[in-house]
Amino acid sequence: METLIEVKHLMKIYNPGENEVHALDDISLRIKKGEFVAIIGQSGSGKSTFMNMLGCLDVPTSGSYFLNGRDVAGLSDDELSEIRNREIGFIFQGFNLIPNLTAFENVELPLIYRNVPGAKRREMSMASLKKVGLENRMDHKPSEMSGGQQQRVAIARALAAAPPVILADEPTGNLDSASSKEIMQILRELHEDGRTVILITHDNTIAASAKRIIRIMDGKVVADTGLEHGQDGTIEEIAAKIEAQAEEERDYVSKKRK
Amino acid sequence: MSQFFEYLKMAVSNIKANKMRSFLTMLGIIIGISSVILIMSLGNGAKNVITEQMAGIAAGQIALYTFDDTGSYYITKDDIEAIKENVVGIKAINSYMYIDGNTMTNKGEFQVSASGQMASYQYFSTTGILNGRYFNESEYLAGEPVCVIGENDAVRLFGSTDVVGLNLDVILWDMEISFRIVGVEQAEKESMFTFTYDNSPISIYFPLTVLEQVYGVALDTYYQIYLLAEDHADTSAITTQVVDLLERRHQCYGEDIYQFESFNDSMQIVNTVINVVTMMISLVAAISLIVGGIGVMNIMLVSVTERTREIGIRKALGAKTRSIMLQFLSESAIITMIGGLIGIISGMAGAFLVAKIVAMVNPMFAFTPSVSIRTILTTTVFSSVIGLFFGIYPARKAAKMSPIEALRRN
Repeated sequence: METLIEVKHLMKIYNPGENEVHALDDISLRIKKGEFVAIIGQSGSGKSTFMNMLGCLDVPTSGSYFLNGRDVAGLSDDELSEIRNREIGFIFQGFNLIPNLTAFENVELPLIYRNVPGAKRREMSMASLKKVGLENRMDHKPSEMSGGQQQRVAIARALAAAPPVILADEPTGNLDSASSKEIMQILRELHEDGRTVILITHDNTIAASAKRIIRIMDGKVVADTGLEHGQDGTIEEIAAKIEAQAEEERDYVSKKRK
Repeated sequence: MSQFFEYLKMAVSNIKANKMRSFLTMLGIIIGISSVILIMSLGNGAKNVITEQMAGIAAGQIALYTFDDTGSYYITKDDIEAIKENVVGIKAINSYMYIDGNTMTNKGEFQVSASGQMASYQYFSTTGILNGRYFNESEYLAGEPVCVIGENDAVRLFGSTDVVGLNLDVILWDMEISFRIVGVEQAEKESMFTFTYDNSPISIYFPLTVLEQVYGVALDTYYQIYLLAEDHADTSAITTQVVDLLERRHQCYGEDIYQFESFNDSMQIVNTVINVVTMMISLVAAISLIVGGIGVMNIMLVSVTERTREIGIRKALGAKTRSIMLQFLSESAIITMIGGLIGIISGMAGAFLVAKIVAMVNPMFAFTPSVSIRTILTTTVFSSVIGLFFGIYPARKAAKMSPIEALRRN
């Protein structure tokens, strides 16, 4: 499979000089097209910073990042906007819908910024809303929808422009378990459709849906494992395995620190 | 271009989402623009009515007089002929002489202010004839005792305006002259410049040459003559030529013997004064516009802060600096443009209201407010420029936000 994302020796240092914080400390990895990857880690582990880098919302202090064959490390703000628009579909924990726009208008936004003409835009937005089962809710404002529905609108928005990468940052963080299951089901379907899905979470049960787990701790990749569903058991069993593995790593790291 | 339309749509939907706030912001612009329009149109209207009424009195008239201590300079009949021949743009030349006297009819005894005029008097009259005619050149040359009187005076003297052919016996300089009335002039229109009072003397106009006939004096030199310029003629060019000619003929170059007063010049001065006053008041009104503009900036800054998260979302989804900038700029431009439009309409409505009240209180000062297209265009452009100018800073602030910073904030 073709490589979609390749990061090499990625560093992000806050407060350079004294009190340096290495939010990302020499991360190198590859993600191929069509993968379903979960990046997991405790809060403060650097996974959010890493997600910002992957999403081209922030630039690394050093290192390189090839997205779809293009080095995006040194691009300007506007060039990064362009890349985000074309290559990445974001799904956020807080949904991040614009409150005074309807579901349809929210889904339309990335297409407006891509200069898709009106009729075509409408068609694409509708198709996207249909995919998440909200075609009958398109004229509702976010405040008139449940959390699960809002997140589905956000997914529709991420899908509308058909970007190669779907980047989901704690997509179920603000949802009840029923809605969470629904959202994860949609993400799995997207993966089955051949899209590359990157999931950032601290929840092992959520991470268990992915096919590959990358664990980050203190700005470093501490584990990178592939999972075979069916062979390794149900999602619950896999989650338990991930948890056990995480426990081991934490012990190891704390011993090493001592 | 299609994208620009999208930004306008976004801006409109956001203005609609904050109706009250948008309206209050607009109010600053509305008040500013409407006061500028109000002042300008009132000023223009007043200027028009004053110009019109003054022009009715003496437009195009130039008084030319001699000014020296010795009294040895004057203007002769030959001078008048020479002026007529050499200077273009002169419609008529007149000179007159007032004599006080009195008369008696069956309506009573009246004071008379009689003026001996040249035949060109008819061109200088601003009212026009009601009955009969003015006296003509041959009557003037012959010194025939004919006269023209005013409509109101005819009624005072005879109780009727149908008096052509009647004789009016007037005692002037202790001699009785019997004038045959050949014409009745229309009464002057009432304006803010007419002053009439009861028992004012009767005015009669007769050929100046009558005085020569009756008293046997030669009246062929004048200390003061009146020129009437043709419509739209350049009065200042005419005066220089005339003065030049007279100085040449009397060999008194540069001694300022021949001086003049041009009515058009005086009118120009009045106009200038009104213009300056209008401009000054408009300037004060324009300051309120700037205050309104600052209001727009203030609200846009609040809006940017409030919508930080929205800006973050838009940037994450691919909005460029320019897109965000245009979105916010359109918002402030639309607010000021709508405000400007409402301001123009309410300013004009206000001006018409004021004019109506003035006309009701004192019809003599009645005028129609006038707003030139140029004023409207200028104020529209000005209000849009204010919107853009005061919108730039907030829009830049929004556009320069880093998406992660913006998304992080709540």
